[in-house]
Order: sequence, then C-alpha cells, then structure tokens
Amino acid sequence: MQRREFLKATAALSFATVLPGTARSEVVFAPKPGAWRAVELVTKIEIDRPDSKMQAWIPLPSVHENEWMRPGESTWTGNAASVTRVRDAKYGAEMLHVIWKDNEFMPSIEVTSRVLMRDRAIDLNKPGHAAPLSEAERKLNLEGTDLIPVDGIVKQTSDKIVAAANAKSDIEKARAIYEWVVENTVRVAATRGCGVGDVAAMLKSGNLGGKCADLNALYVGLARAAGVPARDVYGVRVIPSQFGYKSLGAGSANVTKAQHCRAEVFLEGFGWVPVDPADVRKVMLEEPPANLGINDPKVVAARKTLFGAWEGNWVAYNTAHDIALPGAKHPKLGFLMYPQAERASLLLDCLDPDNFRYALISKEVPAG
Amino acid sequence: MPASAAPSESPQGSIPATLKAWSGPEKHPFSLDDLYGPRRDLRAFAGKVVLVHFFATWCEPCVSEMASLQRLATATRGKPLAILAVDVAEVDLRVRAFFDKRPVDFTVLLDRDRAVSKSWDVSALPTTFVLDADLVPRLFIEGDLDWSRPDVLAAIESLYPAAARPQRETTDNK
Repeated sequence: MQRREFLKATAALSFATVLPGTARSEVVFAPKPGAWRAVELVTKIEIDRPDSKMQAWIPLPSVHENEWMRPGESTWTGNAASVTRVRDAKYGAEMLHVIWKDNEFMPSIEVTSRVLMRDRAIDLNKPGHAAPLSEAERKLNLEGTDLIPVDGIVKQTSDKIVAAANAKSDIEKARAIYEWVVENTVRVAATRGCGVGDVAAMLKSGNLGGKCADLNALYVGLARAAGVPARDVYGVRVIPSQFGYKSLGAGSANVTKAQHCRAEVFLEGFGWVPVDPADVRKVMLEEPPANLGINDPKVVAARKTLFGAWEGNWVAYNTAHDIALPGAKHPKLGFLMYPQAERASLLLDCLDPDNFRYALISKEVPAG
Repeated sequence: MPASAAPSESPQGSIPATLKAWSGPEKHPFSLDDLYGPRRDLRAFAGKVVLVHFFATWCEPCVSEMASLQRLATATRGKPLAILAVDVAEVDLRVRAFFDKRPVDFTVLLDRDRAVSKSWDVSALPTTFVLDADLVPRLFIEGDLDWSRPDVLAAIESLYPAAARPQRETTDNK
C-alpha cells in the first residue's frame, strides 16, 4: 500500500487529539434516538418503449430494527399480470417481482411503502447489554462476497491498518478502519450511481475514489477481514437533514437519485453500530460552499458523529449482496438498491431513470 | 472495479504512459457476446495482432481512450490488427447507449459477469493487452493511452506477422 501513503492510517490516533480548537465550533450534528418520523416512499415505474416480455424487481424496505427502522405495509397498483413479494433466502432482502403480459401497451406499477424511522446514536463509552450475534449471523457478516473478498489484498490492508493503529479490541479495530477510510478515500462526483463496490480492485489499483457503495463497501470488507462483523445497508435518503447538512439529506420530494448505502459494524455489548465514512467524504465534497477541508468544522462534526450515529432521514432497503433476480437469467447484482427491470430479455439501465423510466417520491406523513 | 488513475493525471504528467512488455502467464481464450451480434471467440482472431481492451462506460479515462482506439482502427484499416473492447459488468443497454453516442467500427464484447476480466486478472479499468498473432500476450498497459501515438503504433506493428510489417530499413543498409 505504499502507493496510497499508508501512513495516513495513523489517523487512527485518538480522534480528539487531532481536532483543531476551531473545529469544536457551533456546528451541531448530533442525531439522538427520539421521536419517530414516518414517510411514504413511492416507486413509480412505466417501462419505456415496451416490447415483448417485461418484468421488474423493486426493492422493498426490509430492514426491521425495532430501535430505528420499522417498515410498514407496502401496497401497489398497476397493470401487471402478476405481482409477487419475494424474499431473498440468505439476507432476507425483499423485492416486488412484477411481470406484465407480453407487449403490454403501457406497463406500469406504483408501489407505496410506509416506513417509520428515527435517529441512532450509540454511546461507545458505555457498553450495554446488546445480544450477541448468533453463529449464523456472525458467519454471514464476516464472509466475503463477490465484490468484497476478505482475503488477499483486503486482508493485507486490513492487517496493516490494525497494526499501525495498534488496535487490539474490536472497537479499536472498527474505529481505526473508519479513520483510515475517511483519510484515504475520496468521493468522486463523476462516479455513476453509488459506484460499483469492487473492493479488491480498488485496493489493487490504488484508486480509492468512488461513492458510498465503493467507500462503505471498503469499510465493510476491511472490518470483516479484521474479524469484526460488518455489513452494508442499502437504502435511500427520503427527507432533508435536520442538522443543516444539505449533502446528507434529500434535496426535494423527488428522491429518484437519492440512493445511499450506509454501513454497520457489530461490537460486543453495543450491538450493531452505525458507521458512514462515505458520508464524511460527501460532506467534504458537496457541503456548501463545497470542497471543504478535512479540518472544516462541518467535516469534523460529521466525522466525529458518523462513527456511532446517523440521522433517521433515510430508509433502509436491505443488507444483501450477490442478489439473483428471480425469473431472470442475468448475473447476480452486487447489491439491490435501485429498481430493476427487463424488456425483451435485456436489463434496463437502473442508473438512467429517465430512459428506464422510474421515479421515487418521498413524503413525510404523521408518524402516529 | 475502479478506474485506473489516469497516467496523464499523475504528478509526473510529462511522462507519457506507454506499453510494457508482458511477462506474466498466457491468458485463457474466451468467448463473449458481441454488443449487437453473435458470440465471438478470441481464437477466431488468431493470425492477427489482437488488442483486448477492458473498459466500462462509467470509467472516465476510458471514454477519451475509446476515441483514440477508433483513430487506431482507422489508421490500421486493412492491417492484421483486431481491436476487441470488452465492457466489464454493465447492462447491455447502457453500453449500447454509450456507443450510440460514440460509434466505433471495432468489436465490442460484453463481460457481463466479470468472468473474463477476473480470469485475466484485470484489477483496474482501463486495462489493455496486446496479443501477437498466436494470441500470446506481448504488451500490456493498466491505464489509458493515446493509441494513435507513433511509438504506440510502431510497437503494435512490430507484432504483425512478418509479411505485414512495415519496411523501415534504409536503402544504404547493406
């Protein structure tokens, strides 16, 4: 890793020691579990230029966490010949599998999902009594995936990070990797969608640029390689940030391009802990006036907060990798965060909603 | 799979990227779907120098490099050179939309499940191998390149079967 100036990993120094005095400013980014908020998330699909056999797969909110994410019912209307709610056996990711009759004139479906959500914040100074992971869950969240191997260069890099930080406990390792990802990666505006998430290739090439599906997948891979269970959580931002971070919330009710992947790491006593190094880099790149330095107070506040907390302005779909689309012959997807559809045996480009066509609309509703 | 840091963006930007001699193992032949047509087998190109170029439409340096590959294709028309551009892990329609805007007259193949790029140990995009007429890798570059540069063209021509190589000797070389 010499090409990536590996010593940046020593950012795993106690975070407080690197904060400049000015960084402890008035910027407040302090999500706390409080009131629940509710949204109705609507996914609308109208297959462009319908032809031959057509089907679609729409991710449904399927992360059930009583403390921060409670998916309600999902309902749908449209002219499909069949609509089936499908659950991935390995990860529990749910999707709606929609099939239209051949050559349907105007194939369309509208899915409305109601979700309750709230902020998360884990006090990492006080281990609680969170239930340990089952053996099966531990295995699942330590294993490699197609794009996130946990051996080879991922393991080597993880070992170096952990050694450089002299990290012994899981929480020290998790934090050291978080700081390393924040210090060594970069958000690239030109990356399409949320990125590909090919972690080994990122490390081999030395190009640690991308977006959330790249940067947080890197976190997950490095943590897993260090023996600390971790997982990506794929979802979509649905309402603005209450803390004034324009870059960390939905900019409008139209959230068609607001997909965001977060991450979690499992720490004994604390349970699943939210982490989001990719959003620290997003704040640096995008938060007005843009291109903020790493010591900018807004960046410092985000960096401090996003290891252990996140804001409940985002709906989680699933934590799945290597997802097969039922009824299709296409290769598995690295993750399921966008609507997918097939027309005449060809997958439509999920990163091109205008030509696909789909739209995601979010509306906050009373949580009662 | 990330894009390679573009050589032109390196601090040593004055040093042009160049093809390197390949000293690694031979590569397995592959068979992939053509973007618009039937499946194509690498072995069918034996007898020509073959440029196997791995790319993706999201990879920024790949976009400008595609234009330089087209210049190479134009400059070598009628010569024993085949260019195979292999798109890595993208949906067909995205790739078609890309080439609708930037037409090329060489072969575009689809490595939909990364099977070929994995077996060829491609870790960054763009990556290009130049195979000789026996389909043995001889030259290689990870990163983008201006394929219309004279030195690059000369390196490719040096791999042509003997009868097709340009005669560059001077007449007084007796």
